[in-house]
Amino acid sequence: MTRVFVTGMGVVSPIAVGVDAFDAALDAGVDGAAEITRFDHEIFDRHIACEVKDFVPRDHLTAAEVRRTGRCAQMALSGLRQALAQAGIAPERIAGPRTSVVIGTTMGEANVLGELEAAWIHRGDGVIHPARLPRYGTTLLPIHLARAIGARGLVQTLPSACAAGNYAIGFAAELIRAGRADVVVTGASEVLEKLQFAGFARLGAMSPDFVRPFDVDRKGLLVGEGAGIFILESEAHAVARDANVLAEVGGYGLACDAHHITRPHPEGVGSLQAMRSALETSQITPDKVDLVNAHGTATQANDAIEAMVLGQLFGASRPAVTGIKSMLGHCMGAASAIEAVSCVLSIQRDSAPPTTHHEQCDPGCDIDIVVGAPRAMRCDVVLNNALAFGGYDAAVIFAKLGVLPDLSQAVAPLEARS
Amino acid sequence: MRVRAITGWGVVSPLGVGQTDFVESFSNLEQARETAFRGPTELLAETAPGAHLAEVWDWDPSRWLGPKGHRTFDRLTKFLIVAAGQALAHAEIKRDREFLALGPDRVGICSATAYGSLDAITELNRIAELEDPRYINPTRFPNTVINAAAGYVSIWEDLRAPNTTIVDGNCGALDAVVNADLHFCRDRADAFLVGGGEVLTEPLYVAMHKLGVVAEGVGAPGLHLGEGAAYLVVETLEGAAARGARVHAEIIGFGTSFDAPESEALLVHASPRAVEEAMRLALTDAALEASDIDVVVASRSGIALFDAAEETALEAVFPESTACVAPKRIFGETFGAGGAMNLATAMAFFEGAPVGPLFRGAAPARVGHALVLTAGFYGNVSAVVLRRRD
Repeated sequence: MTRVFVTGMGVVSPIAVGVDAFDAALDAGVDGAAEITRFDHEIFDRHIACEVKDFVPRDHLTAAEVRRTGRCAQMALSGLRQALAQAGIAPERIAGPRTSVVIGTTMGEANVLGELEAAWIHRGDGVIHPARLPRYGTTLLPIHLARAIGARGLVQTLPSACAAGNYAIGFAAELIRAGRADVVVTGASEVLEKLQFAGFARLGAMSPDFVRPFDVDRKGLLVGEGAGIFILESEAHAVARDANVLAEVGGYGLACDAHHITRPHPEGVGSLQAMRSALETSQITPDKVDLVNAHGTATQANDAIEAMVLGQLFGASRPAVTGIKSMLGHCMGAASAIEAVSCVLSIQRDSAPPTTHHEQCDPGCDIDIVVGAPRAMRCDVVLNNALAFGGYDAAVIFAKLGVLPDLSQAVAPLEARS
Repeated sequence: MRVRAITGWGVVSPLGVGQTDFVESFSNLEQARETAFRGPTELLAETAPGAHLAEVWDWDPSRWLGPKGHRTFDRLTKFLIVAAGQALAHAEIKRDREFLALGPDRVGICSATAYGSLDAITELNRIAELEDPRYINPTRFPNTVINAAAGYVSIWEDLRAPNTTIVDGNCGALDAVVNADLHFCRDRADAFLVGGGEVLTEPLYVAMHKLGVVAEGVGAPGLHLGEGAAYLVVETLEGAAARGARVHAEIIGFGTSFDAPESEALLVHASPRAVEEAMRLALTDAALEASDIDVVVASRSGIALFDAAEETALEAVFPESTACVAPKRIFGETFGAGGAMNLATAMAFFEGAPVGPLFRGAAPARVGHALVLTAGFYGNVSAVVLRRRD
């Protein structure tokens, strides 16, 4: 069993496009929230979202790619090109059957479908051009990326709602550990679409202004969009090409609440199991975790339950906790992938980004929240946490090189399963 | 991959709900085809009047799910829940929603679909476009995320081990095998429901019709649309043995390949190369020669371009005598569920169903090894090798 390294990252986010700009924006506490420009929002009682601004697909994609893709794939392709550049690897070098692509999302090319359906509903199927139809398929997200690099291994979309990024990254790392791939392009992408916005508005989950994770006055989430893309390599592959390793991917944990389709389990049973499993499969105890990137949606239910679970899991070790959806909004399927970029940046810089807009901690959230400004601190091990519709729970561990034990050792449970 | 045990399976198809109808259908293929395509569609009567589609006829979920608790579920969710319940019962893990073996924390789901949330998205888009987006029913909104259907299965059956939804076009349900395999490697569960589902929907029919691939009548060239769901219960060999479970078959190999079109402008791509590679990788993984395979459950769906690519690859890999069947002739193309329905077909052959409908080779007297194949529309192909257990 091999170690798995992050050697390249790319990000398209509401606060910046590109890893360096994203890093600077996190440091500065830039707010991605603004009045919606991508669709008419007047009829709603919410008007703010976290859109990706100034994203020009042709800056990153070929003309042919732009023609055959929707915005979701375009952001993912941009992330891929950035990640390849950071990894210093040419597509020809990783082309072939030992390279796979695993991408997460919630609704994929929802805007392509929205446009097609609006035309169909108002003007009938005669206006639908057949050439536009194949652009919708959620299947296509990893396929577009595989084509861009000549990958010929497994191509798979893991549509795991708001935990999709963690699902994809964790599974991608497992593919490498199992010897099924040397390189996996992974991450997640999501596009902001009117239907999602309307749905969250109807669920009463959206804030009218800011996102305030774990704040006593939190008012809900803001919908966002973007992509976070990673190049993962086996140790042997990375060493053979003398790659610059950004971080190691540790274990990951998954669980299902089996409780409610939208609400987290009131006792956080699944989330606790997922985070425990992430630690177990990383061969570390809770006290080794320095920083938790929380799901932190700023909804009443999520934050209270997540804080409770973090308290149960970590006890007195109390790692620092940050909730950067305060800046990014909730980028749905892409959220945990974009936040994973932040986790790796924290490891590289030994610094935790702040939870902005956080003024007064909810007394029910007894955790060490990073607020105000970035916190300089040791970030050897970072846990990225995510929850999702469907009762999905997923957590991934990232670590500084040389910190994690050899994961080829047998998995030893932290404690007996309940 | 490590050898994995199949201890149960369940299926919802146009041939009927449950294993018995499904297995018996292979005894009379003409009758099965008439059952599946028995008349003008009722489900899409407004969109496709007169079209013969392989729909799950007389579908009454209350018969399987009881009268309450499923009002907000969409058709796919109900298919998946029924198939899951049957598979878990067959594996003697659960009956009537009560655990007989294992427990909630040790049973998970790896479930595929290609267009699972399309109907829900269309329903809400229609309300948003024709009425007012503020009228969207919040209880229907979760159905717009693709993993909702599998999430509801976990809730219904109280399955708390990992629940993974997989999309890889027509290949997703076979890919689900490798997802489960890797979860087993990390001891994430003792059993997984592996398979998937797809339903006939108005937008899917319209899209396929616009693409010009839908057959103009039963038996006509082209794609015959269908729907259904199937799950296998997959366990580790050690786990199945430890609980004394009957092992019906084993999963012994997996292969996948992606081959992009040469033209930058193309999206849709039929690749003999990818089909051949996926099959050869699955055979290598299973440590078998092509001549060891008794039947290939093929992807053949009626789209000439893809059928020709598959046939080219089959000729390159398998002896002329190897039986190759096209079960989509009798239950239609079910896209993301296609691999699951083909896996169910292999299970039917293991249980003694006559091998058919053949399009190549000769039916073997007994099926010991089956290679199950699915080809996607973009150059993606997956294959799984199964072994019968007596």
